[in-house]
Amino acid sequence: MIRLKGTALIAAVAVIGLAACGTPSGNNKQAGGSSSDTIGGAQQKATDESAKGPAKDIDGAKKGGTMTVYAESTPSTFDPTNIYYTDGNQIAKLAFRTLTQFDIRNGKPVLVPDLAEDLGKVSADKLTWTFKLKKGIKYQDGTPVKAEDFAYAIKRSFAHDVFDAGPTYQLSYFKDADTYKGPYASGDTYSGVETPDDSTLVIHLKTPFPDLPYYGTFPMFTPIPKAKDTKQKYEQNPMTTGPYMWQSYNPGAELKLVKNPNWDASTDPVRHQYVDGWDFKWGGDAIKSQQQVLASQGPDAAAVEYDNVDSSVVPQLTGDKKAQLLQGDSPCTIVEQMDSRKIPLEVRKAIALAYNWDEMNKVSGNNSLTSAPASSILPPAVPGYTKFSVAGLTGTGQGDPAAAKAALQKAGKLGFQLSWYYSNDSQTSSQLTQARTKFLEAAGFKVKAIGVPKAQIRKYTGNYDSPVNMLFSPRGWCSDWPSGSSWFPVLFKTQSVKDGNSIGELMDPALDKKIDDISALPLDQQAGKWGALDQDILQTYVPALPFYYDKMAIVIGNKVGGAVGDPTQGLPVFTQMFVKS
Amino acid sequence: MSSRLFHMDGVRMSLGVDPQDQVSSEALVAVPVASTKEHGKSPSRIAFDRLRKDRMAIICACVVLFFVLVAVLAPLLCALEGQNYSDFHTELVDEFGFPTIGPNADHWFGVEPKTGRDLFAQWTYGARPSLVIAFVAAITSSVVGVVLGLTAGFLSGWVDRVISWVIDFVLSLPYLLVAIAAVPIVVGVAGGVNALSPQDNANIRFFVLIGVLVFFGWASLARLIRGEVISLREREFVAAAKVIGVPTRRVLFKELLPNLVAPIVISLSLALPAYIVAEAGLTFLGVGLIEPTPSWGQMIAKATTYYQADPLYLWLPVVGVSALTLALSWLGDSVRDAFDPKTRR
Repeated sequence: MIRLKGTALIAAVAVIGLAACGTPSGNNKQAGGSSSDTIGGAQQKATDESAKGPAKDIDGAKKGGTMTVYAESTPSTFDPTNIYYTDGNQIAKLAFRTLTQFDIRNGKPVLVPDLAEDLGKVSADKLTWTFKLKKGIKYQDGTPVKAEDFAYAIKRSFAHDVFDAGPTYQLSYFKDADTYKGPYASGDTYSGVETPDDSTLVIHLKTPFPDLPYYGTFPMFTPIPKAKDTKQKYEQNPMTTGPYMWQSYNPGAELKLVKNPNWDASTDPVRHQYVDGWDFKWGGDAIKSQQQVLASQGPDAAAVEYDNVDSSVVPQLTGDKKAQLLQGDSPCTIVEQMDSRKIPLEVRKAIALAYNWDEMNKVSGNNSLTSAPASSILPPAVPGYTKFSVAGLTGTGQGDPAAAKAALQKAGKLGFQLSWYYSNDSQTSSQLTQARTKFLEAAGFKVKAIGVPKAQIRKYTGNYDSPVNMLFSPRGWCSDWPSGSSWFPVLFKTQSVKDGNSIGELMDPALDKKIDDISALPLDQQAGKWGALDQDILQTYVPALPFYYDKMAIVIGNKVGGAVGDPTQGLPVFTQMFVKS
Repeated sequence: MSSRLFHMDGVRMSLGVDPQDQVSSEALVAVPVASTKEHGKSPSRIAFDRLRKDRMAIICACVVLFFVLVAVLAPLLCALEGQNYSDFHTELVDEFGFPTIGPNADHWFGVEPKTGRDLFAQWTYGARPSLVIAFVAAITSSVVGVVLGLTAGFLSGWVDRVISWVIDFVLSLPYLLVAIAAVPIVVGVAGGVNALSPQDNANIRFFVLIGVLVFFGWASLARLIRGEVISLREREFVAAAKVIGVPTRRVLFKELLPNLVAPIVISLSLALPAYIVAEAGLTFLGVGLIEPTPSWGQMIAKATTYYQADPLYLWLPVVGVSALTLALSWLGDSVRDAFDPKTRR
């Protein structure tokens, strides 16, 4: 039995914690690292057709070690034909080599040949592209890569019913794209690709596509042998040509990569094979993983967390830890989407009035390191960006629920129901949903928010037939290459809805024509026109509310070397990283 | 008239007393009990008298009562303060999410980082899940454990074998894994994701949490009770009752159960703090309650990342959980001592 002596003191604990006086904000002396005021220089279109392997060695690089990579946001697929998110794309570069690739030199992206010998030669009528392929390339099991494997991979990308999340430029630009439905449905004969000999790939287009060499950097162009195609199971054990190959893949949770013995460095101008293996772990709480990586204990010293650094972690970035913050440019704009098929224009304008952006930013953990408020679709990093502002769509301010309610009443839609999916096991997503619910309900809307696990959210938000009317994917868009032609034709045409890449689910033939007209212009005349179209779309259609332009600010362990940002993805370049001793 | 056993070692046995039978019982007492003042009291009565005299127990009971009052009166307290637990006050946090105010007249405990929600309201409402889940789970698992333990111990034969097997099975299951897996399964069965609002989701998790704690909690008490019953059922008074023809239910509840009050009360008082910690732990792991239900476990989970700049945010729920658990543990200790006649006072 416990005898309580007179002096038993239990309160010792409380004394330590309350020593810090003052407000928590005041205690946060080192708020923020150096925040770059500029969003980042405009992406230049730079190419280097003569680049050859091996890639230039990085100063101080050492071989060995295992790199761990954490992220809360979970890629939903690693099938190369189906990858379209920036995280999947960036990770795919470790294993899947493609026709062309970006080499990051001094922080700037340069397009170089990867498995092709050159950056493609186009015919006089601009409708035929010919790529000469490198010889002697092997898969991870030693079998040779053939030209027909490249052709098969392209054909496979037309099976959009199976690979519904993948990029869709080929469906617009390649010959006979309307009739060919992929090798499973329409067989092997496709007039859009040809392999006249074992080291040549010919692509036939139906309309000119000057950016095709840039498109060639996408994982869908990695060679896939027909005999090894197991459709939906392919991502469990794909054929890889990069410095790393699959060890194991647990979808939604973990991916382990090990060295590919059949990767030949002398053929690869971009990648390195310093690290022995990679361990990607998804779904863990971002803030906790970032704390772990900053603390750099044990294996976390060779770790990276590629979600943007959370505000609560920023005060710890002082002294030595400042070097653990990796900053870079990102070609992305994040928006809050509204489904124009289900929400009428006046209601969309009322929603824009109701949004409290200050609250959204604070609850998201956005700060000057990681984002800047957005007022347009194109981010400043893309040539063609024009600075303009449409009232109510500036990503700033506290919103005006009273005005929104008045607008709703005027439209006769008071009590209109808004619904969306959110990740109910993610704190940030749940809190954002609560924030939205509050100001939308204050503005006279009814709200129905549906919680799903974060490992599956992309499946729900990617299905435009879901019974919700807001916040479908894509939640944002990153420039596929430095031009408005990788934004507007993809996101705002009628076809975008079928392809699953629409912002606002717009289906207006007049808008389609405006976009086609600009695409047909010579490249040097396009830039300014895209900027004007940007403003036009926002003012006339209000398909989405611009939220913020992304910047890359992530934490890396103190033994991670060679880390630089890839401005084409807004993520670190994995293929250059090594473990310091 | 029911028989009660004062000491398990059977050294002394005196027939229990009906308050109306004071006169006749005196004649039946073979050996005078230690103090004539305690003569005529049931063991539970004696134990509670001891408890009342134990200063430590009173203090602990007061602490527990304080928290129960805080939880029950949470809406009233928040109305006094003028805040509620779900309003965001992002104008009170800076760019990085850190509160720009400390405790002040409007917000007695300050505000939460990022969202700016009032911490006093979060704390008082946060006491509710801890207490409700702990009490409900403890009482339910005790009831289930006692009933099954009684049945298994008394009936023996195949009933005993089946129940014992189930007890062993439950005790061998991995508690955390089942806890983590249970929520998505129940959500799926309850109609899938599209059919459930955030409030439905929160309710499902609440009940699943209680269900998991009960599922794992009844087994050890059942085993304990079964052991006690097995040793008791060989006693003469039980045999006598059976021979007379007393129905099994009456034998169980009127003969055996009163002798089991001590282990049951002790187990209950030890289970309560364990369940409070379990709820906070599971919620901290992300398995239990989630937004928007305020709970101490969630506060602890969120506060650990803000500790350096905002220690109050962490200490509030930690002190809450610790004080409550400590008070309940000491109370349980005192209860055990009060029931154990061998303890010197």
